[in-house]
Amino acid sequence: MGLSLAYWVVLLLFGMGLYCILTESNLIKIAVGINVMEAGLLLFLVRLSYSPGDLAPLMGPTTGPGIADPIPHALTLTAIVIAASTTALMLSLIIQIYRHYGTVDIEEIRSKMQ
Amino acid sequence: MRLRKIAAAILILVLTLALVGAIAELPSPDERVSQSALTQRIIGKGVVETGATNLVAAVLFDYRAFDTLGEATVIFAAVAGVVLMFYHAPLHPSAIGLSILAKRSLDVIGPFVFVAGMYIVVYGHISPGGGFQGGVILATLTILISIVYGLQEERRLLDPRFKTALESSAALLFMTVAFVGVFSGEYFLSNLGAGFFRGHPGSVLSGGAIPLLNVAIGLKVGAGLALVFYSMVKKEPE
Amino acid sequence: MLENTIVSILLVFLVVAAATAISFRNVLNSVLALSVFSITLAVLFVLYQAPDAAMAEAVVGAGLVMALFLVTISKTRAEEEAD
Repeated sequence: MGLSLAYWVVLLLFGMGLYCILTESNLIKIAVGINVMEAGLLLFLVRLSYSPGDLAPLMGPTTGPGIADPIPHALTLTAIVIAASTTALMLSLIIQIYRHYGTVDIEEIRSKMQ
Repeated sequence: MRLRKIAAAILILVLTLALVGAIAELPSPDERVSQSALTQRIIGKGVVETGATNLVAAVLFDYRAFDTLGEATVIFAAVAGVVLMFYHAPLHPSAIGLSILAKRSLDVIGPFVFVAGMYIVVYGHISPGGGFQGGVILATLTILISIVYGLQEERRLLDPRFKTALESSAALLFMTVAFVGVFSGEYFLSNLGAGFFRGHPGSVLSGGAIPLLNVAIGLKVGAGLALVFYSMVKKEPE
Repeated sequence: MLENTIVSILLVFLVVAAATAISFRNVLNSVLALSVFSITLAVLFVLYQAPDAAMAEAVVGAGLVMALFLVTISKTRAEEEAD
Protein backbone atom coordinates (compact mmCIF):
# COMPACT_ATOMS: atom_id res chain seq x y z
CA MET A 1 0.00 0.00 0.00
CA GLY A 2 1.32 3.37 -0.96
CA LEU A 3 0.97 5.01 2.40
CA SER A 4 3.28 7.86 3.23
CA LEU A 5 5.74 7.24 6.05
CA ALA A 6 4.50 10.44 7.67
CA TYR A 7 1.08 8.90 8.44
CA TRP A 8 2.71 5.96 10.23
CA VAL A 9 4.79 8.42 12.23
CA VAL A 10 1.60 10.28 13.17
CA LEU A 11 0.08 7.02 14.41
CA LEU A 12 3.23 6.16 16.38
CA LEU A 13 3.44 9.59 17.99
CA PHE A 14 -0.23 9.53 18.94
CA GLY A 15 0.05 6.04 20.41
CA MET A 16 3.25 6.78 22.31
CA GLY A 17 1.82 9.99 23.76
CA LEU A 18 -1.36 8.23 24.87
CA TYR A 19 0.63 5.35 26.40
CA CYS A 20 2.73 7.87 28.33
CA ILE A 21 -0.39 9.64 29.63
CA LEU A 22 -2.04 6.37 30.71
CA THR A 23 0.89 4.65 32.38
CA GLU A 24 3.21 7.34 33.78
CA SER A 25 2.78 8.37 37.41
CA ASN A 26 4.90 11.56 37.27
CA LEU A 27 2.76 14.60 36.44
CA ILE A 28 5.53 16.33 34.46
CA LYS A 29 5.97 13.21 32.32
CA ILE A 30 2.23 13.27 31.65
CA ALA A 31 2.59 16.87 30.42
CA VAL A 32 5.41 15.69 28.10
CA GLY A 33 3.11 12.92 26.79
CA ILE A 34 0.34 15.42 26.06
CA ASN A 35 2.83 17.55 24.12
CA VAL A 36 3.97 14.55 22.03
CA MET A 37 0.35 13.64 21.25
CA GLU A 38 -0.39 17.20 20.13
CA ALA A 39 2.69 17.20 17.92
CA GLY A 40 1.42 14.07 16.16
CA LEU A 41 -1.83 15.82 15.41
CA LEU A 42 -0.03 18.90 14.05
CA LEU A 43 2.13 16.75 11.77
CA PHE A 44 -1.04 15.11 10.43
CA LEU A 45 -2.64 18.49 9.60
CA VAL A 46 0.48 19.81 7.86
CA ARG A 47 1.09 16.58 5.92
CA LEU A 48 -2.54 16.51 4.71
CA SER A 49 -2.29 20.01 3.22
CA TYR A 50 0.78 19.12 1.12
CA SER A 51 1.07 17.30 -2.21
CA PRO A 52 4.47 16.69 -3.83
CA GLY A 53 5.83 19.73 -5.65
CA ASP A 54 3.67 22.23 -3.79
CA LEU A 55 5.07 25.62 -2.81
CA ALA A 56 4.49 27.50 0.44
CA PRO A 57 1.34 29.69 0.47
CA LEU A 58 3.25 32.91 -0.16
CA MET A 59 2.16 34.59 -3.38
CA GLY A 60 5.22 35.89 -5.19
CA PRO A 61 6.64 36.10 -8.70
CA THR A 62 7.52 32.37 -8.85
CA THR A 63 4.81 29.77 -9.25
CA GLY A 64 4.98 25.99 -8.94
CA PRO A 65 2.65 23.17 -9.94
CA GLY A 66 0.52 23.94 -6.91
CA ILE A 67 0.27 25.73 -3.60
CA ALA A 68 -0.06 24.05 -0.21
CA ASP A 69 -3.46 24.52 1.43
CA PRO A 70 -3.24 27.60 3.72
CA ILE A 71 -6.28 26.79 5.89
CA PRO A 72 -4.75 23.81 7.78
CA HIS A 73 -1.59 25.90 8.23
CA ALA A 74 -3.61 28.60 9.97
CA LEU A 75 -5.31 25.95 12.13
CA THR A 76 -1.89 24.47 12.99
CA LEU A 77 -0.62 27.88 14.05
CA THR A 78 -3.69 28.36 16.26
CA ALA A 79 -3.22 24.91 17.77
CA ILE A 80 0.48 25.51 18.55
CA VAL A 81 -0.15 28.75 20.43
CA ILE A 82 -3.13 27.34 22.33
CA ALA A 83 -1.06 24.25 23.21
CA ALA A 84 1.62 26.55 24.63
CA SER A 85 -0.84 28.45 26.81
CA THR A 86 -2.58 25.29 28.05
CA THR A 87 0.86 23.79 28.82
CA ALA A 88 1.64 26.90 30.88
CA LEU A 89 -1.64 26.44 32.80
CA MET A 90 -0.94 22.72 33.25
CA LEU A 91 2.56 23.36 34.64
CA SER A 92 1.28 26.05 37.02
CA LEU A 93 -1.28 23.57 38.33
CA ILE A 94 1.52 21.02 38.80
CA ILE A 95 3.51 23.56 40.86
CA GLN A 96 0.41 24.25 42.98
CA ILE A 97 -0.16 20.51 43.48
CA TYR A 98 3.47 20.13 44.55
CA ARG A 99 3.06 22.96 47.03
CA HIS A 100 -0.01 21.30 48.51
CA TYR A 101 1.06 17.64 48.57
CA GLY A 102 4.87 17.86 48.41
CA THR A 103 5.13 15.44 45.49
CA VAL A 104 4.34 15.19 41.78
CA ASP A 105 3.71 11.42 41.80
CA ILE A 106 0.01 10.66 41.34
CA GLU A 107 0.15 7.42 43.35
CA GLU A 108 1.52 9.24 46.39
CA ILE A 109 -0.98 12.07 45.91
CA ARG A 110 -3.80 9.52 45.83
CA SER A 111 -2.63 7.89 49.05
CA LYS A 112 -2.27 11.30 50.73
CA MET A 113 -5.79 12.30 49.70
CA GLN A 114 -7.35 9.42 51.65
CA MET B 1 0.47 -1.03 38.10
CA ARG B 2 1.50 -3.92 35.85
CA LEU B 3 -2.13 -4.58 34.98
CA ARG B 4 -2.65 -0.95 34.07
CA LYS B 5 0.27 -1.02 31.63
CA ILE B 6 -1.11 -4.10 29.87
CA ALA B 7 -4.60 -2.59 29.71
CA ALA B 8 -3.20 0.64 28.29
CA ALA B 9 -1.19 -1.26 25.67
CA ILE B 10 -4.27 -3.23 24.56
CA LEU B 11 -6.40 -0.08 24.39
CA ILE B 12 -3.80 1.74 22.29
CA LEU B 13 -3.37 -1.29 20.00
CA VAL B 14 -7.12 -1.38 19.29
CA LEU B 15 -7.23 2.38 18.72
CA THR B 16 -4.19 2.28 16.41
CA LEU B 17 -5.70 -0.53 14.33
CA ALA B 18 -8.88 1.51 13.89
CA LEU B 19 -6.80 4.52 12.87
CA VAL B 20 -4.81 2.41 10.37
CA GLY B 21 -8.12 1.55 8.72
CA ALA B 22 -9.02 5.24 8.54
CA ILE B 23 -5.62 6.25 7.19
CA ALA B 24 -5.75 3.60 4.45
CA GLU B 25 -8.59 5.63 2.91
CA LEU B 26 -6.32 8.67 2.46
CA PRO B 27 -4.82 9.42 -0.96
CA SER B 28 -1.38 7.95 -1.66
CA PRO B 29 1.56 10.34 -1.15
CA ASP B 30 2.62 10.73 -4.78
CA GLU B 31 -0.77 11.56 -6.21
CA ARG B 32 -1.94 15.18 -6.44
CA VAL B 33 -5.20 15.66 -4.58
CA SER B 34 -7.73 18.16 -5.85
CA GLN B 35 -8.13 20.97 -3.35
CA SER B 36 -11.50 22.06 -2.01
CA ALA B 37 -13.41 24.94 -3.56
CA LEU B 38 -12.71 27.08 -0.50
CA THR B 39 -8.95 26.57 -0.83
CA GLN B 40 -9.07 27.30 -4.57
CA ARG B 41 -10.96 30.51 -3.86
CA ILE B 42 -8.41 31.63 -1.24
CA ILE B 43 -5.42 30.78 -3.44
CA GLY B 44 -6.95 32.36 -6.54
CA LYS B 45 -8.41 35.54 -5.08
CA GLY B 46 -6.74 35.87 -1.67
CA VAL B 47 -4.24 38.55 -2.66
CA VAL B 48 -6.89 40.67 -4.41
CA GLU B 49 -9.45 40.32 -1.63
CA THR B 50 -7.13 40.93 1.35
CA GLY B 51 -4.03 42.66 -0.02
CA ALA B 52 -1.74 40.28 1.90
CA THR B 53 0.70 38.07 0.00
CA ASN B 54 1.08 35.63 2.92
CA LEU B 55 -2.07 33.58 2.54
CA VAL B 56 -1.80 32.14 6.06
CA ALA B 57 -2.02 35.69 7.43
CA ALA B 58 -4.93 36.33 5.06
CA VAL B 59 -6.77 33.30 6.49
CA LEU B 60 -5.88 34.13 10.10
CA PHE B 61 -6.72 37.83 10.10
CA ASP B 62 -9.29 38.23 7.34
CA TYR B 63 -11.24 35.11 6.35
CA ARG B 64 -11.17 33.52 9.81
CA ALA B 65 -10.40 36.56 11.98
CA PHE B 66 -13.23 35.74 14.36
CA ASP B 67 -11.44 32.46 15.09
CA THR B 68 -8.31 34.43 15.97
CA LEU B 69 -10.33 36.58 18.37
CA GLY B 70 -11.46 33.40 20.12
CA GLU B 71 -7.86 32.20 20.29
CA ALA B 72 -6.77 35.51 21.82
CA THR B 73 -9.50 35.02 24.42
CA VAL B 74 -8.16 31.55 25.27
CA ILE B 75 -4.66 33.00 25.77
CA PHE B 76 -6.12 35.78 27.92
CA ALA B 77 -7.94 33.22 30.09
CA ALA B 78 -4.80 31.07 30.46
CA VAL B 79 -2.66 34.08 31.42
CA ALA B 80 -5.30 35.26 33.89
CA GLY B 81 -5.42 31.78 35.45
CA VAL B 82 -1.65 31.52 35.88
CA VAL B 83 -1.32 35.05 37.27
CA LEU B 84 -4.16 34.43 39.72
CA MET B 85 -2.60 31.18 40.93
CA PHE B 86 0.70 32.89 41.80
CA TYR B 87 -0.75 36.23 42.84
CA HIS B 88 0.51 36.15 46.45
CA ALA B 89 3.95 34.75 45.74
CA PRO B 90 6.65 37.28 46.71
CA LEU B 91 9.62 38.11 44.54
CA HIS B 92 12.71 35.93 44.74
CA PRO B 93 15.15 37.94 46.88
CA SER B 94 18.48 36.50 45.71
CA ALA B 95 18.08 37.30 42.03
CA ILE B 96 21.43 38.84 41.11
CA GLY B 97 21.82 37.24 37.69
CA LEU B 98 24.78 35.74 35.87
CA SER B 99 28.38 36.95 35.38
CA ILE B 100 29.37 40.19 33.68
CA LEU B 101 30.29 38.31 30.48
CA ALA B 102 26.73 37.03 30.07
CA LYS B 103 25.34 40.48 30.84
CA ARG B 104 27.49 42.28 28.25
CA SER B 105 26.68 39.56 25.67
CA LEU B 106 22.99 40.09 26.24
CA ASP B 107 23.53 43.85 25.87
CA VAL B 108 24.87 43.15 22.37
CA ILE B 109 22.34 40.46 21.36
CA GLY B 110 19.22 41.87 23.04
CA PRO B 111 18.48 44.76 20.64
CA PHE B 112 18.85 42.43 17.67
CA VAL B 113 16.42 39.93 19.18
CA PHE B 114 13.98 42.78 19.81
CA VAL B 115 14.31 44.04 16.22
CA ALA B 116 13.89 40.50 14.87
CA GLY B 117 10.71 40.04 16.90
CA MET B 118 9.26 43.38 15.78
CA TYR B 119 10.26 42.65 12.16
CA ILE B 120 8.43 39.32 12.25
CA VAL B 121 5.34 41.02 13.70
CA VAL B 122 5.27 43.96 11.26
CA TYR B 123 6.13 41.97 8.11
CA GLY B 124 3.67 39.20 9.00
CA HIS B 125 1.38 39.88 6.04
CA ILE B 126 4.05 39.59 3.32
CA SER B 127 6.47 36.96 4.64
CA PRO B 128 6.29 33.96 6.99
CA GLY B 129 5.65 35.07 10.53
CA GLY B 130 3.09 37.25 12.19
CA GLY B 131 1.80 38.32 15.55
CA PHE B 132 2.00 34.94 17.26
CA GLN B 133 5.59 34.08 16.31
CA GLY B 134 6.94 37.60 16.83
CA GLY B 135 5.08 37.92 20.13
CA VAL B 136 6.63 34.71 21.44
CA ILE B 137 10.08 35.98 20.42
CA LEU B 138 9.48 39.19 22.39
CA ALA B 139 8.35 37.10 25.39
CA THR B 140 11.52 35.00 25.06
CA LEU B 141 13.58 38.21 25.26
CA THR B 142 12.08 39.01 28.67
CA ILE B 143 12.88 35.42 29.76
CA LEU B 144 16.50 36.00 28.69
CA ILE B 145 16.65 39.26 30.62
CA SER B 146 15.26 37.67 33.78
CA ILE B 147 17.76 34.79 33.57
CA VAL B 148 20.82 36.91 32.80
CA TYR B 149 20.11 40.08 34.79
CA GLY B 150 17.93 38.54 37.50
CA LEU B 151 14.25 38.96 38.17
CA GLN B 152 14.60 42.23 40.12
CA GLU B 153 16.17 43.96 37.13
CA GLU B 154 13.56 42.60 34.76
CA ARG B 155 10.85 43.82 37.12
CA ARG B 156 12.47 47.27 37.17
CA LEU B 157 12.63 47.39 33.36
CA LEU B 158 9.17 46.00 32.67
CA ASP B 159 6.78 46.35 35.57
CA PRO B 160 4.14 43.56 35.70
CA ARG B 161 1.45 46.23 35.83
CA PHE B 162 2.88 47.67 32.59
CA LYS B 163 2.67 44.22 30.98
CA THR B 164 -0.93 43.84 32.14
CA ALA B 165 -1.78 47.27 30.72
CA LEU B 166 -0.01 46.39 27.45
CA GLU B 167 -1.93 43.14 27.09
CA SER B 168 -5.29 44.75 27.80
CA SER B 169 -4.67 47.69 25.47
CA ALA B 170 -3.61 45.28 22.70
CA ALA B 171 -6.91 43.44 23.15
CA LEU B 172 -8.70 46.82 22.98
CA LEU B 173 -6.82 47.67 19.76
CA PHE B 174 -8.01 44.39 18.23
CA MET B 175 -11.61 45.14 19.21
CA THR B 176 -11.37 48.72 17.91
CA VAL B 177 -10.17 47.50 14.52
CA ALA B 178 -12.95 44.90 14.58
CA PHE B 179 -15.66 47.49 15.31
CA VAL B 180 -14.46 49.88 12.59
CA GLY B 181 -15.96 47.34 10.19
CA VAL B 182 -19.34 47.51 11.94
CA PHE B 183 -19.48 51.33 12.08
CA SER B 184 -18.52 51.71 8.42
CA GLY B 185 -21.58 49.72 7.40
CA GLU B 186 -19.79 46.45 6.74
CA TYR B 187 -19.57 43.36 8.93
CA PHE B 188 -17.61 42.65 12.14
CA LEU B 189 -13.84 42.37 11.43
CA SER B 190 -14.28 43.48 7.83
CA ASN B 191 -10.95 44.33 6.23
CA LEU B 192 -10.69 46.10 2.87
CA GLY B 193 -14.44 46.61 2.63
CA ALA B 194 -14.29 48.86 5.70
CA GLY B 195 -11.99 51.28 3.91
CA PHE B 196 -8.62 50.24 5.35
CA PHE B 197 -5.62 51.24 3.26
CA ARG B 198 -5.12 48.65 0.50
CA GLY B 199 -1.65 49.67 -0.69
CA HIS B 200 0.38 47.70 -3.17
CA PRO B 201 0.43 43.95 -2.33
CA GLY B 202 3.95 42.99 -1.27
CA SER B 203 4.87 46.31 0.36
CA VAL B 204 4.82 46.95 4.11
CA LEU B 205 1.91 49.39 4.01
CA SER B 206 -0.63 47.06 2.46
CA GLY B 207 -3.19 44.50 3.46
CA GLY B 208 -5.63 46.89 5.15
CA ALA B 209 -6.21 45.94 8.78
CA ILE B 210 -3.97 42.85 8.77
CA PRO B 211 -0.76 44.65 9.95
CA LEU B 212 -2.75 46.40 12.69
CA LEU B 213 -4.23 43.11 13.89
CA ASN B 214 -0.75 41.56 13.70
CA VAL B 215 0.67 44.27 15.96
CA ALA B 216 -2.23 43.86 18.39
CA ILE B 217 -1.81 40.08 18.58
CA GLY B 218 1.98 40.40 18.82
CA LEU B 219 1.84 42.77 21.80
CA LYS B 220 -0.89 40.72 23.44
CA VAL B 221 0.90 37.38 23.09
CA GLY B 222 4.28 38.87 24.03
CA ALA B 223 3.02 40.64 27.15
CA GLY B 224 0.81 37.72 28.17
CA LEU B 225 3.45 35.01 27.91
CA ALA B 226 6.08 37.24 29.59
CA LEU B 227 3.59 37.67 32.45
CA VAL B 228 3.11 33.87 32.62
CA PHE B 229 6.87 33.29 32.95
CA TYR B 230 7.24 36.10 35.50
CA SER B 231 4.43 34.69 37.63
CA MET B 232 5.81 31.16 37.51
CA VAL B 233 9.41 31.99 38.54
CA LYS B 234 8.41 34.10 41.54
CA LYS B 235 9.36 32.46 44.83
CA GLU B 236 6.78 30.40 46.66
CA PRO B 237 5.67 31.44 50.15
CA GLU B 238 7.16 29.05 52.69
CA MET C 1 14.54 12.08 -4.63
CA LEU C 2 17.00 13.66 -2.21
CA GLU C 3 14.17 15.52 -0.51
CA ASN C 4 12.25 12.31 0.15
CA THR C 5 15.31 10.77 1.76
CA ILE C 6 15.79 13.78 4.03
CA VAL C 7 12.11 13.71 5.02
CA SER C 8 12.32 9.98 5.80
CA ILE C 9 15.43 10.41 7.94
CA LEU C 10 13.82 13.30 9.82
CA LEU C 11 10.62 11.30 10.40
CA VAL C 12 12.60 8.40 11.86
CA PHE C 13 14.55 10.84 14.02
CA LEU C 14 11.26 12.36 15.19
CA VAL C 15 10.05 8.97 16.42
CA VAL C 16 13.39 8.31 18.14
CA ALA C 17 13.26 11.70 19.87
CA ALA C 18 9.68 11.10 21.04
CA ALA C 19 10.56 7.63 22.35
CA THR C 20 13.54 9.12 24.19
CA ALA C 21 11.39 11.87 25.69
CA ILE C 22 8.85 9.34 26.93
CA SER C 23 11.15 6.57 28.16
CA PHE C 24 13.68 8.57 30.21
CA ARG C 25 13.14 8.20 33.94
CA ASN C 26 14.88 11.51 34.63
CA VAL C 27 12.43 14.34 33.93
CA LEU C 28 15.15 16.82 32.95
CA ASN C 29 16.51 14.53 30.20
CA SER C 30 12.97 13.92 29.04
CA VAL C 31 12.25 17.65 28.68
CA LEU C 32 15.53 18.20 26.79
CA ALA C 33 14.56 15.41 24.38
CA LEU C 34 11.17 17.11 23.94
CA SER C 35 12.99 20.27 22.85
CA VAL C 36 14.98 18.32 20.23
CA PHE C 37 11.70 16.76 19.11
CA SER C 38 10.14 20.23 18.59
CA ILE C 39 13.06 21.45 16.50
CA THR C 40 12.91 18.34 14.28
CA LEU C 41 9.19 18.87 13.83
CA ALA C 42 9.84 22.49 12.81
CA VAL C 43 12.33 21.37 10.11
CA LEU C 44 9.74 18.89 8.84
CA PHE C 45 7.14 21.67 8.64
CA VAL C 46 9.52 23.70 6.47
CA LEU C 47 10.01 20.71 4.13
CA TYR C 48 6.21 20.28 3.97
CA GLN C 49 5.96 23.95 2.86
CA ALA C 50 4.43 25.37 6.03
CA PRO C 51 6.92 28.11 7.07
CA ASP C 52 4.47 29.93 9.36
CA ALA C 53 3.72 26.83 11.41
CA ALA C 54 7.42 25.94 11.43
CA MET C 55 8.39 29.30 12.87
CA ALA C 56 5.75 29.04 15.57
CA GLU C 57 6.74 25.48 16.48
CA ALA C 58 10.45 26.37 16.69
CA VAL C 59 9.91 29.44 18.87
CA VAL C 60 7.23 27.95 21.10
CA GLY C 61 8.50 24.38 21.42
CA ALA C 62 12.19 25.03 21.86
CA GLY C 63 11.96 28.41 23.58
CA LEU C 64 8.91 29.08 25.67
CA VAL C 65 7.54 25.65 26.61
CA MET C 66 11.11 24.52 27.35
CA ALA C 67 11.61 27.46 29.74
CA LEU C 68 8.29 26.78 31.48
CA PHE C 69 9.12 23.07 31.89
CA LEU C 70 12.54 23.95 33.36
CA VAL C 71 10.92 26.37 35.83
CA THR C 72 8.47 23.66 36.87
CA ILE C 73 11.24 21.08 37.34
CA SER C 74 13.36 23.43 39.44
CA LYS C 75 10.32 24.36 41.55
CA THR C 76 9.26 20.78 42.19
CA ARG C 77 12.75 19.48 42.88
CA ALA C 78 14.59 22.13 44.95
CA GLU C 79 12.85 21.34 48.22
CA GLU C 80 13.04 17.58 47.65
CA GLU C 81 16.83 17.72 47.81
CA ALA C 82 16.74 19.99 50.85
CA ASP C 83 14.71 17.41 52.80
